Amino acid sequence: MLIDFRFKALDPIRNYVNWILRPLEYVMMAPRNIFETTSEYFTTRSTLDQENQVMKVRLAELSLLANQSEFLTVENQNLRELMELQKQVPFKTLPVEILFNPPNPISQRIVINRGMNDGLKLGNPIANDAGILGQVVRLYDRSAEVSLLEDRDFAVPVQVARNGLRAAVFGAGRGNPLELRYLPVASDLEVGDILLTSGIDGVYPPGFAVAVISKIERNADKNSSNVFCVPVAAVNRYRQALAFLYDPQFDAKAPSSNIKPVNGTPLTNIPGRRQTRARGMQ
Amino acid sequence: MIDFQSGYILRPVNPVFIYFSLFCALLLNLLPFGNYGWVPNWLILCIVFWNIHQHRYVNVITAFFLGLMMDVHNSDLLGLHAFSYSLVAYIAISWHRRIVALSVLSQALHLIPIFLLVSLFPVLVHWALSGELYWWALTGGIQALIESLLWPLATRILLAPQRRPMDVDHNRPL
Repeated sequence: MLIDFRFKALDPIRNYVNWILRPLEYVMMAPRNIFETTSEYFTTRSTLDQENQVMKVRLAELSLLANQSEFLTVENQNLRELMELQKQVPFKTLPVEILFNPPNPISQRIVINRGMNDGLKLGNPIANDAGILGQVVRLYDRSAEVSLLEDRDFAVPVQVARNGLRAAVFGAGRGNPLELRYLPVASDLEVGDILLTSGIDGVYPPGFAVAVISKIERNADKNSSNVFCVPVAAVNRYRQALAFLYDPQFDAKAPSSNIKPVNGTPLTNIPGRRQTRARGMQ
Repeated sequence: MIDFQSGYILRPVNPVFIYFSLFCALLLNLLPFGNYGWVPNWLILCIVFWNIHQHRYVNVITAFFLGLMMDVHNSDLLGLHAFSYSLVAYIAISWHRRIVALSVLSQALHLIPIFLLVSLFPVLVHWALSGELYWWALTGGIQALIESLLWPLATRILLAPQRRPMDVDHNRPL
């Protein structure tokens, strides 16, 4: 256990066991899938009609928005070029299917059906149509494990949509609301504010909804406020999601080996990304 | 082996049946129930059963490898379940002479601590590693209670092949 915790050296073993186990997992998922498909097959005509109607309206709205957004993106890129700002990075999306939710009392994870062979990378965000769901934390060849927003100490850098205030949303464990930490009492927040990803971490593309503020407790004594939020995306509901193959490339470079110590002076402060390790398990 | 419930001598066990039942329990564990604390862990029920009744076929090493499988499935630290399963297998094997002689219900009572250890072990390890105790995760205790409630059923099913009579008189069943 300690070897896995400290050195991550047992990943090959995990890979092999997973290679044996995955087909069995697929077999055992069959009963649920059959049940779901049959119940879908027997939905009534009127339900389908209603759904179709709603879809059509939604499609009309979205296509109108899409036409505008094309224009806006071009305009935005041009303006950014004029002002010599960094360009927004376009990225691809990959449709993924959520396979199952492994029973684990201390973390909230899901397993998806895409992996390294489909171009997924460690740290890629997963989202559905409403907002961010989580992030890839472990990769196999044809599947991956995703940590959900609710996972303990799972942090997402966000921005309040109303006023652009930057903060970080933290997961607080299963069944608990998300928390906005390290905010002073006087910060301009209201219940119902929508939090969008800010994109400063280089992991999440900017502008995707993460959570909505549900409760604010201002604590004047400690000059801090406890802000609780609910995720926008239904974290445990749907089976389909999208993975963002997002690589902004403005991240600091990892410390490379071509910086040599000069005349024997020890290297204490090499520029580049620090190797950090998450606190707690994995 | 003597069946202490009825006093008859049991038929010899078929190793294929043991491994088949372990495999079925593993498959049951892989069922996508979702992340709920109370879903019984069929595998540990089966492992403990065979540890108590046939510890020469299912021993600590078997428990270790099955635990490794569950680690990968549950995306836990590698070795967490492997260790707790082998620990529990050791305890079960060292208790087996005492437990086999009891009635089924008191067997179930005696096994509650064993199942509790398995259910709460991940929480305790995480507590030791990061210093935070997840109170929410202590609902795993319910799982242990459900498992011990399932013990009589497991005894009935898993001992059924050995309880068949030696020679059946087809003219006079019973």
